[in-house]
Amino acid sequence: MSESFAVDVENVAKSFGSVKALDGVTLQVRQGEIYGLLGPNGAGKTTLIRLLVGLLEAHAGTVTVLSHRMPDVGALRHVGYMTQQAALYPGLSVEENVRFFAAINGVEGDAVKEALELVHLYERRDSVVSTLSGGMRTRCSLGCALVHKPQLLLLDEPTVGVDPQLRVQLWEDFRRMAEAGTTIVVSSHVMDEADRCQRLGLIQYGKVLAEGSPSEIRALAGTRNLEDAFLKLAGAGSPS
Amino acid sequence: MSGHRVAAITRRLLQQFRRDRRTLALLFVAPIVILGLLGYLIRGSASIPTVGIANEDQGPIGATIATALARSSVISTATINASDGDAKLKDGSLAAYIVFPVDFSRLAQSGTVTPEVHLEGSQPGTTAPVLQALQQALLSLAAQAPGQGLHVQPTLTYMYGGPGFDTLDYFGAAFIGLIVFFLVFVITIVSFLNERSLGTLERLMASPLRRGEIVLGYMLGFSVLALIQAAEVLIFALAVLKVHNAGNVGLIFGIEALMAIGAVNLGIFLSMFARTEFQAVQFIPLVIVPQFLLSGILFPVSSEPKPLQVLSDVLPLTYAVNGLRDVMVKGADLTWGSLQLDISVVLAFVIVLIVAGTATLRRRIA
Repeated sequence: MSESFAVDVENVAKSFGSVKALDGVTLQVRQGEIYGLLGPNGAGKTTLIRLLVGLLEAHAGTVTVLSHRMPDVGALRHVGYMTQQAALYPGLSVEENVRFFAAINGVEGDAVKEALELVHLYERRDSVVSTLSGGMRTRCSLGCALVHKPQLLLLDEPTVGVDPQLRVQLWEDFRRMAEAGTTIVVSSHVMDEADRCQRLGLIQYGKVLAEGSPSEIRALAGTRNLEDAFLKLAGAGSPS
Repeated sequence: MSGHRVAAITRRLLQQFRRDRRTLALLFVAPIVILGLLGYLIRGSASIPTVGIANEDQGPIGATIATALARSSVISTATINASDGDAKLKDGSLAAYIVFPVDFSRLAQSGTVTPEVHLEGSQPGTTAPVLQALQQALLSLAAQAPGQGLHVQPTLTYMYGGPGFDTLDYFGAAFIGLIVFFLVFVITIVSFLNERSLGTLERLMASPLRRGEIVLGYMLGFSVLALIQAAEVLIFALAVLKVHNAGNVGLIFGIEALMAIGAVNLGIFLSMFARTEFQAVQFIPLVIVPQFLLSGILFPVSSEPKPLQVLSDVLPLTYAVNGLRDVMVKGADLTWGSLQLDISVVLAFVIVLIVAGTATLRRRIA
C-alpha cells in the first residue's frame, strides 16, 4: 500500500509533556506531487516534518517514508530537508556549504554546480554566507537540501521572510523539480502559496482538518478562496 | 539620564536570571564549592616534607644533629638505612635523606663536617625546608660547643632536577598539558553548541550521517587544531621558557595529544547538557577548577587530606599531570609502571568520552 506513496502517515500521535503536538494524524503524499502542509503557527507542521526525517519518534501510529518505516537512517539518503531558518555555516562560502551537504550525502562532482545553478547562486558561489542577504541564504539553504537530488524534498516554511519576486521564483523551481519526479512536501501558513500545491493537508491543533486538492477543499468548505475555506474548517475543528 | 530607563534595564536583567535557575545556582554555589575546596586543601594538607636520617657516625655528633633535626618544625624525620634512601626517594615516601658518614664526628674535630644531603628534587618547594632544618640543627650544635668554629659543607645530590630546578620547571610540566586541555575544551564545547543553535546539527541528524560519524569527524577536526596548539605550547615551553626536561619530547607530545583529544570529547559530551553557549561557558568553573585544584598541579596529591585524595584519584587530569611530570622532571619512559598507568587511565578516559558523546548525541536534538 505504502508502495505508491512517497509519504504515508497513519494515525500518528506525538506529545511534548502535556502538549499534544500531533493527535491522530493520517495523510498520504503521492510520488512526484507537491503537497502543502497548511496551518497556523503551532499547528504541528514542524513536528510532522521532524517525524518524517526521523528527528522525532511518534508515540503512536506509523510514519513511512519512501517505503522505510521511520526513524530509519536508510531513507535519509533520498530525503532533502530544508529547516525553517536557513541553517548554514555562516563562516563558509556558498559553495563550501553546498559541497559539505553534498559530501555527507555521498555525492560529488557536478551535483554541486547543478544545485548552485538551480538556486541561482552560481555567480555568488564564493561569497561567504554571513555576508549574504536573507533571500540568498534561503536559496543557499535550498541548494544544500537538494544537492543530492533527493526523491523527497521536505521544506519547512521555505518562503518565510522571502520577498515576492524570489517567492515566485522558488515556487517555479519547486514546480520544475516536481515535474522531474521529485516529491515535495512544503509547509506554509501563507494561503496564496497553497494554490500552487497539487494537494493540501490542513492542520490545526495537531489534527488534519481536511485533505485534498485546493479546489476540493474550497468545495468542501463551500467558499471561493482557500483563506475562507481554512477559517471555516478551522472554526469547525477547534478544540472543546 | 533617566532613572526609569536604567531601572528598566536592571529589572529586565534580574527577571532573565530568575528563569535561568542553572546560572543562579552556579552564581551562588560555585564560589562556595571552589573556596571551600581551596580552604580544605590548604588547611588540611600535610605539607611538611619527610626527611630520612641515616646516622652511620661512630662518634656522638651525628646523633646530636639527628635529635635536633627531629625537633624541627619545618620537616618530619624518619630513621632509615642509607642503602634504602634512593628507593624511598623514588617511591615518594621521602622528600630527602641525610647521611652522617662513619667519620663524621672525627672530621668535626678537624673543623669541617660534610653531611650528605640527598634530595628528591622534583618539587622545588621541599628543598628549602630540608636545608633550613639542617642549618638550624647545625646552629644548635654550634651553640652547644661554642668556639669550635665548625665549618659545614653539606654535599647536595639531586635525584631529579638539580640546583637550577625552579618553580617554573615544576609547574611548567603540568601547565603544558593544562593549557591545551582547557583551551581545547572551551573551543569544542562552544562550537558544538553553535552547531546546535545554528540549526545545522538538526540538518546533520536528518542526513544519512550516523552519530558516531559526527562525533568522530568533530574529534578529528578539532584534534588537528589541538595538536598544532599542543606542539606550539611544547616548543615555546622548551625553547623559550627553557622548562626543565629530562625525558623524551615525543612522549610529552603524546601525553599532551591524549589530553587534547580527551578535552575535545569532553567538550562534545558536555555540550549535550547545555542548550546555549552561555550555559556551556558555565561548565568551565565546574569542570576545570576542581580538576585544577585536585590534580596535583598546585598541591601534591599525597599531601592532600585523605577524602580529597580519593577524589583526585578518579580525576583523569591527575594522571595526565603526573605522567607529564614523570617524563619531564624524572625522565620517565614507557618502561615505568607509573607512566604506563597514567597513560592507560588517560586513554581509557578518552575512549569512555567518545562512547558517551556518541550515545548522548541523539537525545537533545529537538
